[in-house]
This record gives sequence, C-alpha cells and structure tokens, in this order.
Amino acid sequence: MIAAFLALTGRCFYLQYFKGDYYYSRCINQQQSCNPQRPRRGVILDCRGRVLAASNRVAVVFAEPRLIKDPKSTSNRLAPVLDMGAHEICKLILESRNPGYAKIKAGADAPQCSAAGRIYGIGVQYDWLRHYPMGRLASHAVGFTSTDNRGLGGIEFKYDKELTGSAAENIFFADVHRRPICLKERNGALVDGRGIILTLDAAIQQFARAELAKQRESYQAESAAAIVAEPKTGAILAMVSLPDFDPNDAGSVDANSLRNRAITDQFEPGSIIKPVTVAIAVDSAAVGRYETIFCENGNYVGHGFGRIGEYRRGFGDLTISQILIESSNIGMAKIGQRLGKERLYEGLKLFGFGSQTGIELPGEAEGLLRPAQNWTGYSVTRIPFGQEISVTAIQLVQAFCIIANGGHLIRPHLVRAMVDDNGAVIKLRPTTPPIGYIIKPEVAKWLVSDPLVGVINEGTGTRAKLEKWQAFGKTGTAQIARAEGGGYEENAYIASFVAGAPAEDPQVIVLVTIRRPNVKLGKGYTGGMVAAPVAAAILEKTLNYLQTRQPRLTPRDGRSEFLPLRAQSSPSF
Amino acid sequence: MRSAFCLGFVVFYLTAILIFAVYLRGANKRMFYMLCTYKAEQSQLKQELWQKQLQLESLINPAAISQRLDH
Repeated sequence: MIAAFLALTGRCFYLQYFKGDYYYSRCINQQQSCNPQRPRRGVILDCRGRVLAASNRVAVVFAEPRLIKDPKSTSNRLAPVLDMGAHEICKLILESRNPGYAKIKAGADAPQCSAAGRIYGIGVQYDWLRHYPMGRLASHAVGFTSTDNRGLGGIEFKYDKELTGSAAENIFFADVHRRPICLKERNGALVDGRGIILTLDAAIQQFARAELAKQRESYQAESAAAIVAEPKTGAILAMVSLPDFDPNDAGSVDANSLRNRAITDQFEPGSIIKPVTVAIAVDSAAVGRYETIFCENGNYVGHGFGRIGEYRRGFGDLTISQILIESSNIGMAKIGQRLGKERLYEGLKLFGFGSQTGIELPGEAEGLLRPAQNWTGYSVTRIPFGQEISVTAIQLVQAFCIIANGGHLIRPHLVRAMVDDNGAVIKLRPTTPPIGYIIKPEVAKWLVSDPLVGVINEGTGTRAKLEKWQAFGKTGTAQIARAEGGGYEENAYIASFVAGAPAEDPQVIVLVTIRRPNVKLGKGYTGGMVAAPVAAAILEKTLNYLQTRQPRLTPRDGRSEFLPLRAQSSPSF
Repeated sequence: MRSAFCLGFVVFYLTAILIFAVYLRGANKRMFYMLCTYKAEQSQLKQELWQKQLQLESLINPAAISQRLDH
C-alpha cells in the first residue's frame, strides 16, 4: 500500500515538475485559437472620386505540396472543381518554391472553395487582393504592389506606410470543434489603411495617354511622356509615360516599362528652355522687352565660345519676342552673355532646375546644372538655348507653370488629400494662392501674351493653334548626347512642346516630349512637327472637358469678358 | 408510495434545474460564437458589394469607355 502511494506520488511529481510545461502548452494550443487580422489596404482615388486602386478580400485556393504525394491525381480531382486545366494545376504544385504553400486560384467562389477544401492537401484562405480598375491608364503615377501587398512603385510605394494600416491579432478560447467561444485577448488594434486622393483626373489622363500613344506609334518613337498641370496651384492633372504597364500584372513586365520617364529621365531640353532664359534676363533688366539684338546672320563666332549657328536660317536684327518666335540660338547666346553666368545660374536655380521638385513619387532625378564656377565661355552661350544642362519633364512643367501663373512659385504635386476608413479627411493640401515671386508678374504676363503667343500664331508652333482658345507655347528639338561622351548621336532627337491656354488667364499647361522619333519615316522630327499636334489635342480636349464641368470658362468669341475657371475650394468626397 | 413519488419528483425537478443551469452557463459562449458568425457573414457581404463596385468601376472608367467607343 505504502509502495503504491509512493509510486503515485512520484508519478504526480514527475508530471507536475518535469512535464508540467509540456502539458500546459498542449492545453493552451487545444483551448486557444489565434486569428490574425490583416488590415485592408487604403484606396487610391482620382480627384473626382474614381477608383484607381482598391483592395478586396478574395478566397485563395492553395495547395500544400509537402502533403501531396500524387500531384497528378490531386490535380485531376481539383481541375473540374476550379474549372482549370489539370496540367496547369500540377505545374503550380510541382514548381512551387514554398513546400507549404502554392497558390492555385485567387477569387474562387463559395462552392468551389467548399469542394476544394475537401481534397487532402488543398486549403482555402482569405486574403486581400489589389485591383486596378483602370488598368494601365495611370500605372506609373499609381504604382503597383507585390503579392504580399507591399507597394513597389508610384504612390503605392511612396505612401506604403499610410496605405498599409496596422494589423491586429485576436486570441480566442475555442471549443472542441475549434469554434470561438470567448475572446481572451487582443494584440494591437486593427486599423485599415488610409485612402489617398490624387490631383489626377482620369478623363484628362485618358486624353493625354490616347493622344501620346497614337503619336508614338505613328513616329515609331522609343518613348514618350506627357504632363498636364494647373499652373496656379501646380496640381498635376495627368502624367503619362510610355511605354507603360498593367499594374494588375506587374510581375511579368519588362523593367524598361516600369520607369516613369516624366520624372526619372533627364535630357538636354533644347529650345524649349529659351522662355525661361528670356524671363530671367528681362526680369533682371539685362535686356529690355522691346530691345533689338543683332543675330549675326546665322554665324556667330567668338573667342572663348566657338561657333554658334542657327537651326534653319540666319537672322539679322531681332526683337526679344522675335528671338523666341524664330527660336534663334545666336539671339539666346547673346542674351546669356548679357546676363552673365552668375545671374543665369541663380535664375535657373530659382526656377527649380538642378534640384528635385519634390513631387510625391519615388525615383525623381535632379537634372544637371553645373555650379557657375565650373562654367566656361561655351556654357554661358549654350545653356540659354538648352545645351550643357539636363532637365526632367516635371522640372520643365514647374518652370512653365511659374511663367504662366504670373511668376508665383509653385511646387508640382500629385496628392490632394488623405482620408480615413470612413471618408473623413485627415490631411488636405491647402488651396490658398501661392506666395512669393520668381519673376515679376508683368514680365510673366508679357512673356505669355507676346512672344509665346507669337510662337503659336506665327512661329515654330503653328501646329498647336486652337480654334476656341488662344494658346501659347514653345517648341524644342534637342539632340541626344552620346552615352560614351563626345558629341551627339546622328539622327537622334527629343521633340518637345510645352503649351498652355487660355493666354488671357492660363488654366492648363501641357508638356509633351517624344524621344527618338524615327527620322527615316520622313515625317519630321522637330518639336513643332511631332510634339506640338499632340499637345494641342490634349489641351483642346482638356479645356472642353473643364469647360463642361465649369461652364464659366468662356472661349474667345468676343461675346463676353473672360472669366477665371473653377474657384479653389475644398474637394467633396 | 406517495413519498416515493414526491422524492422522484424532487430529484427530477432538481436534475432539470441543474441541466438548465449548465445550459444557461454556456449561453454567453453560444452568443459569442453567433456574433462571430454574423460578423463574418456581414464582412463577406461587404466584400461582395465592394467587388461589384470594383467591377462597375472597371466598366465605366474613361479608359474602358474609350476602348469600347474605339471598337
């Protein structure tokens, strides 16, 4: 009897002291159930509330390859259930790098999930899947996500933390059937991701993309970019970069298509930068508005700056306006010499060249503007007409917005507001008028209404004339420098055009750049031939669209005084 | 005879009360499970509605309309 009790006592001691933790953990595993809660990724909307990116929970049928001894047999059983090919399912199971998980089908419906779950080695889990209803329309601006819902490009990457939200975990007590019967504890608070409202307008984005794609195909160009912006605020209404991609299928895309050329590609701008130089020169009184400059009849040679020629023909005396209308390189070189390197450099820096604009997208290039102390006599004559300087498309847009809005400093931006799960605004970009001048308002107004209107009406940009509005703009045809250095490539150009309208009170600025149009087609390669028609088409459609939404925009027909476009007001959600 | 009947009745009555008490004791857990079930169903319905909305958005966005007009 004593021996029996001693044995019993020993056994109790052994179980409690040596095996206590083991049985305790088994007990906890049996009683408790953990339910991780993944937050829903925030939506991305355009300025009119159209959905650009959103997440939805879908049922994912998956296989656990390590449990499946006969993949062919399992595939044959699963194929009619999921309405997929058995060979395809077998391939997914065999080629999976993860022995515990191989995704078979996302978005299966309830009967399919129910039937699939009964097959050994097949399971169903619910996961968030990112949708991009507009496909490749705004792919570079919006970006895309990985399979585990991390942002990898565009706004998805830049605002990944805000869009992700925060996860939580609920621990329940469960019964023998694993049904939750009581909440034990909650780790963290589930917070869905915040929504982001962009300044993009999907309709204007579609106008820009359609026109640009058509022209790129027509000229067999290597790539193209277009930006549409509101000059008064810097809000980006459209940003297109071609080639583009479908973010719903970003995994199988060529890396070349993922680049947002509107902000990453830097290039020598050519003549398109001339209005900026003239603005700096007139504002600093280095030249007078109505002054005449002798343009050396097309051949300007001097010590320290070599030889400068013209693109088309030589000119004699030209006014400052005519220098821009005729796009005279010699005229610009002389303006640069009058300015001097310090003032020219400072002016270009003020316009934003040589530094990032700060737009809310990853990968923005700074461009290249060498410090003035490194300039030579060549630099001060070449930079004014767009050589020896590298810019990005977004920098050009910023500069022309400054000119178009009366000289006010603006920053191009893509994000309008951030909202929480219930639609309440958390952050709103203020729409107050910008403060601070880069150039005097009268200089900016003169530049727009005189030389830049002249470029459209009688100069190199006549293909950008609009019927209902007076447009203004500037062409640019830049050669592409050799990658290995030493001069420019043969027959390789970047055709650019920047335009705005209406000239009386600019509401929209459009920039189009088309890289390497095929010269051998014989259809031209200059900014005026290749880029100007695209800019005009985008401008016209945009103004018609905005006029429809805001009827106070009056076309030029002499009937009534021009009224400004939409008032700056808080967006409605 | 009568006392046996009364004893039987009391035992039966007490047993019924005990069973009912145990049943009531588990009511909280049953309610909790039902709540979880309804919440899951509500979430499922919300997802289906949101899915429909996304399908609608993909049909009526400017790119899709432009494509259909071109064709």
